[in-house]
Amino acid sequence: MSAAQMLETLLASEITGDLLVLFHRNPGLIDTLDAVARRIGRTGNAIEEDIRGLVNLGILKTRRVGRSEVLLLDRERDREVLDAIAKHLRNLEGVEKIDHTKF
Amino acid sequence: MTTPSSRTGVSGFDQFFTGKAGEGGRVRTGIVELDEMLRGGFMKGDAVMVAGSAGCGKTTLALQYLVNGVKLGEAGLYVTFEEMPDQIYRDAKNLGWDLRKLEEESKFRIVCTSPNLLLESEGESLLDESFRDIQPKRIVVDSLSHLAMFVKESELRREAYRLIMHLKTKGISSLMIWESPQMAGGSFSVTDVGLSFLVDCIVALKPVEIESSMRKALVILKMRGSDHDKSLREFEITPTGIKIESAFMNYEGVITGSPRRVASEKFMDLFRGAAEKRK
Repeated sequence: MSAAQMLETLLASEITGDLLVLFHRNPGLIDTLDAVARRIGRTGNAIEEDIRGLVNLGILKTRRVGRSEVLLLDRERDREVLDAIAKHLRNLEGVEKIDHTKF
Repeated sequence: MTTPSSRTGVSGFDQFFTGKAGEGGRVRTGIVELDEMLRGGFMKGDAVMVAGSAGCGKTTLALQYLVNGVKLGEAGLYVTFEEMPDQIYRDAKNLGWDLRKLEEESKFRIVCTSPNLLLESEGESLLDESFRDIQPKRIVVDSLSHLAMFVKESELRREAYRLIMHLKTKGISSLMIWESPQMAGGSFSVTDVGLSFLVDCIVALKPVEIESSMRKALVILKMRGSDHDKSLREFEITPTGIKIESAFMNYEGVITGSPRRVASEKFMDLFRGAAEKRK
């Protein structure tokens, strides 16, 4: 997946934004879908799709703890994704600067 | 030699093969006066309960214990059920402890989860990854009272015992926080569900009203296998953490939260008053 696509996924919805903020501020959060939803004042159903997007990106990972499936931040992958997006944004900025000098 | 430690970080095998099984020793809290009260610190591998009502300084004491542990070369794990880690990072920073930095250095970790997940008994435990990653020697569970909300009263003691023994088997010294609302009243009991018997040491924190101001008292109620200071000591939460002062002198009934001056002291006051009037 390209950095542009990653960025698109992260900006897809307000819920995705809330989830990103939640896990970045609380990198040690390990909880079920419903409990994660409660921590941002939503329901499990409401965040399911956004969670799937973040899991597909690799920012969140799932793990089995007993009978429950839990969600947690993949710290390494998260850093990689953010680095890729930052690089992408820097490139865009560079392109813009060139454009500005042209006109 | 490869032992099962590669799966879970610290294990009974580690302790066995390194000859540390059953080894004594003390776990210093790093709070000088408290270590003195404990005759050197908590006993290594023990389960300690820090009990007190809201706002007493339980979390501050627990964090200070972990941060000081890091300074002594012992990684620490903080398990929270209710308070979110970002609040803990912020509050700790106000006391001069940069927990995020310690996390980056793999010396400390906060795990925020639901109590029922911590109690899951099938497969890998919730904390195993953290055990592997940072190999903690100290753990704080904040709080056992929150855990109690998710377990039937009849099962709480068994589940708490299982958790404590799981940590003991891994050679980790644990500090369990217990919120005791009843401690703010006139009666005094640590827990009403029999958990006091499961832990090896109990440190109680208590607000005390003296001359229309709220002060804080700390007392070691129990310490298995060791002598300890039995006095009720005043403490304060300073900008750098908990500071334990001298014992409450000339007061009785401090543990009830509404102490009275001892009779001899009242007599001395009357005497001083009369002497003043005569002047």
